[in-house]
Amino acid sequence: MTTDADRSTPSARPGTARTRNRASRAAAALAALALAGSAGVAGAPAAAAADQPTTLRAAMSFSGVDTLNPFLAYFNGALDIFGSVYPTLNSLQPDGTPGPYLATSWKPSDDKLTWTYTLRSGLKWSDGKPITAEDAAWTLNLIMTDETAATANGSLVANFEKVTAPDATTLVIRTKKPQSNVPYVSIPVSGIPIVPKHVWEQHTGDLKSFKNDTFPLVGYGPWTLTDFRTEQYAKFTANKDFVLGAPKFDRLVEQSFKSPDAAVAALRSGQLDYVNNIEAAQYKALKGDKDVKAFQEVGNRWFGVELNAGARTKSGKKLGTGSPALGDTAVRSAIALAVDRDTLVAKVIDGLGKPGAGYLPPAWPQWAWSPAGGKAEHDPAKANKLLDDAGYKRGGDGVRTDPKTGRPLVLRLGIHSDRPRDTQASAYLAGWLKDIGVKVDIQALSMSKLNDDLAKGDWDMLMDSWSTGPDPTYLLGIQTCDALPDDQGNGGSTDAFFCDPEYDKLFEQQVTTFDQGERAQVIGKMQDILYKANSDIMLFYANGLDAVRTDTVQNLVTGKADAAGLYPSQTTFWNYITAAPPAKGAKDGSGSNAALIGGGLVAVLVAAGVAVLAMRRRSASDDRE
Amino acid sequence: MSDLLDAVALPGREEPAGSSRPGRSPAPFLRYLASKVAAALVSFAVTLVIGFVLFSLMPANPVQSLTRGRPTSAAQMEHLRHQLGLDQPVWHRFLSFVGDTLQGRLGDSWQFQQPVASLIGERLWPTLLLTGTATLLSVVLGLWLGVHSGWRHGSRFDRLTSGISLTLWSVPTFWLAMILLVVLSTGLGPIPSLFPAGGMSDAYSPSGFGHVLDVAHHLVLPCLTMVLVVFAQYVTVMRSSVIDELGNPYLLTARAKGLMDSQVRNRHAAPNALLPSVTVIFLQLGTVVGGAITVETVYSWPGLGFLTYQALQVPDLPLLQGTFIVFSASVILMNLLADVVYRFLDPRVRAQ
Repeated sequence: MTTDADRSTPSARPGTARTRNRASRAAAALAALALAGSAGVAGAPAAAAADQPTTLRAAMSFSGVDTLNPFLAYFNGALDIFGSVYPTLNSLQPDGTPGPYLATSWKPSDDKLTWTYTLRSGLKWSDGKPITAEDAAWTLNLIMTDETAATANGSLVANFEKVTAPDATTLVIRTKKPQSNVPYVSIPVSGIPIVPKHVWEQHTGDLKSFKNDTFPLVGYGPWTLTDFRTEQYAKFTANKDFVLGAPKFDRLVEQSFKSPDAAVAALRSGQLDYVNNIEAAQYKALKGDKDVKAFQEVGNRWFGVELNAGARTKSGKKLGTGSPALGDTAVRSAIALAVDRDTLVAKVIDGLGKPGAGYLPPAWPQWAWSPAGGKAEHDPAKANKLLDDAGYKRGGDGVRTDPKTGRPLVLRLGIHSDRPRDTQASAYLAGWLKDIGVKVDIQALSMSKLNDDLAKGDWDMLMDSWSTGPDPTYLLGIQTCDALPDDQGNGGSTDAFFCDPEYDKLFEQQVTTFDQGERAQVIGKMQDILYKANSDIMLFYANGLDAVRTDTVQNLVTGKADAAGLYPSQTTFWNYITAAPPAKGAKDGSGSNAALIGGGLVAVLVAAGVAVLAMRRRSASDDRE
Repeated sequence: MSDLLDAVALPGREEPAGSSRPGRSPAPFLRYLASKVAAALVSFAVTLVIGFVLFSLMPANPVQSLTRGRPTSAAQMEHLRHQLGLDQPVWHRFLSFVGDTLQGRLGDSWQFQQPVASLIGERLWPTLLLTGTATLLSVVLGLWLGVHSGWRHGSRFDRLTSGISLTLWSVPTFWLAMILLVVLSTGLGPIPSLFPAGGMSDAYSPSGFGHVLDVAHHLVLPCLTMVLVVFAQYVTVMRSSVIDELGNPYLLTARAKGLMDSQVRNRHAAPNALLPSVTVIFLQLGTVVGGAITVETVYSWPGLGFLTYQALQVPDLPLLQGTFIVFSASVILMNLLADVVYRFLDPRVRAQ
């Protein structure tokens, strides 16, 4: 076979010249395009270096945005946006307690049924119309009366009887029963955003289909939403007149990333300034980066294992295929005693968290509770003794037998197939339970399958994780008898079919206890009951891990670190307000250099490809007879 | 025969005066087309039924998944069950699904609370841009390499091409994507950050032509990843069919005419070897709409693959069925197109 010597054959045929010309013209055009591309790419950051608006670039919550309609949305990405662009009655102060926002004061009446809010005057929506108590009353009333409007936040106002606005600065909320957490009902991000009545009035008819995507969005907050692209980004401009303090940056971009890895890559290369909720391995890696401050915040989420102590409906009908052995408190206590939480913290989350004990995570110190001795008990010998005393005898294979059923003590452990933490922690659990004579059958399942099994009671043990906002009512509520499903197995929000009248009584009591110190004591007693019941065994609370660039942002982190280096639980609401661009002159140009080289490389590659193509075309045309 | 194939494979050529062009005899062609279209419609209908049955049988509790972690009362959950139609018997849901689909209604997504059609519409173009570009590039690259390595099989070039392409084919896509992300986006050692880590464009990208360049800049890494992983299939198919042609007498005839080796290869061997590759290309084109979920996830590309994954998690049945309809329709459509194109490419199909 010959080599491609024919490639060099000169061509003088008129019939082929056209083809060649077309090819080289295309080549020239493409090369020009590629070069222009590199110039364009390089040009953008270079221009930004001049005295242009400053932009804070943050990663959007990995959940993304479901819809921009605040009456419907419940993805965290959407809630973050609402927190920035719609006002609330109260703010949430960095210490986790309600503070002033639209309201400057709020007071319950002596019978505890009426809350009177005094609102600021003089605030204006972004379209210039005044913000009044009527806007707040209208928003809350809509959620109370319209089933569609209640989609996202209906349960927060379920106990509201009547909301009125006697004048522009007074809002009166009357509740059916006393309710201590009213100041948490309308807080940024996790509470109800107040919307401008004059805009939304026209949409009460089409609330379900209204996408709320006319930009700039009419609202009020530290930022104004000026553009939103699905799965891409949300763009904001700063409200320099914001009543709780003007943002220091001129613009804010929340960029959508689908994995923490990509967001961290973007942070390292300077395309992002701030990422929250990164993983332990990334945190460790970022610790060595001199331009990045990686920090921990106190965890607002527990990670635990739920035990099925007897799934049943509200009326007491038994449900599902749970192992009867778990109905025995001795077995549940033994399992809890066998768990070495310190090892889990060290091995599963690289030491970046706290061993679990109380039901409410440590992010909200006002509700924190721990058992006597400060931590959960770990004593495998005691666990073995408990089981021995209760008559669970070990067989030849080391597995105990349930004396009531005569069956070996084998328990299913459902874990989320897509969560590495579940996989790691379950392997440890299986080992520790084996030591006390309990065999564990680990079943890695999808989230929807786990939820289905849970509701039907078809499980023994489940790995689960819950977080809570600053008001713990909902998380405490899923442990009440009221959270059990109906006789068809529907409508339950329980996570372990726990039901204890004493607990329910305390639950009602904490709702109606207005002194927050007293309320905390009641909530402590509730956590004590849960701790002793061992239906939800708290394994650990992972710290929140965040990273922020130090060369492009300062003052983004809220609060002061404690002795262990943990910052208070962060809210993007305050972070984005206090974040400031670096002092002038400190900016470096690495970003534009990188883009220049990147663009250059593309240009070279494309040009090379085009050249090869053109040569091939020429040789091909030379071949023609 | 080779003349006709030549014309198809090398469009720059002047048309030979073929007498057996399908256009000359429209009646058999239309009959052929009608039968293929009918078959496509039947398979689409069957796919719809299978899809519905599969999704309905999937063990899941959408109401639990949707309300998990957000304050919801029992009454709200019951309302949601009713609203989603989950309190209806399966046959009832099937009938309304068929009715809606026939009228072109895809319903509302449960988790996004928006029409499925608009959710898919928003993500369709980014996906087509990414997978379309990647498929085009990998076809061109794969066929070119396949022809050359098949023509000189056993040569160093062949061994190198086959080795590299098969190695990349065996590499897990997400792994390669992560490696490229770390090396070319974060930057490693002396390599600076060259490309964005994710997304389709900069939030403050210029408008007009600048925007096109910005999107192209964002497209490089995801597209490169996809090309590297999939071009091997074109290489291997093309290579083996070129090898199959090597011993054929018509190549000897072509050489005897005095044609150069490359002319024999490009104008006689390659066109005849192209048919199996056409099949592979159309199969691949059918899946273009489905996107590449791993690549879209690693590079945060706003496409359909990730939407399907989100739909599966709940499961969000209307959204799942909507994406399923779009994906299966595109595969069936591409198969139909392949059948039609085959008729033009291969006279044997015409003779049937």
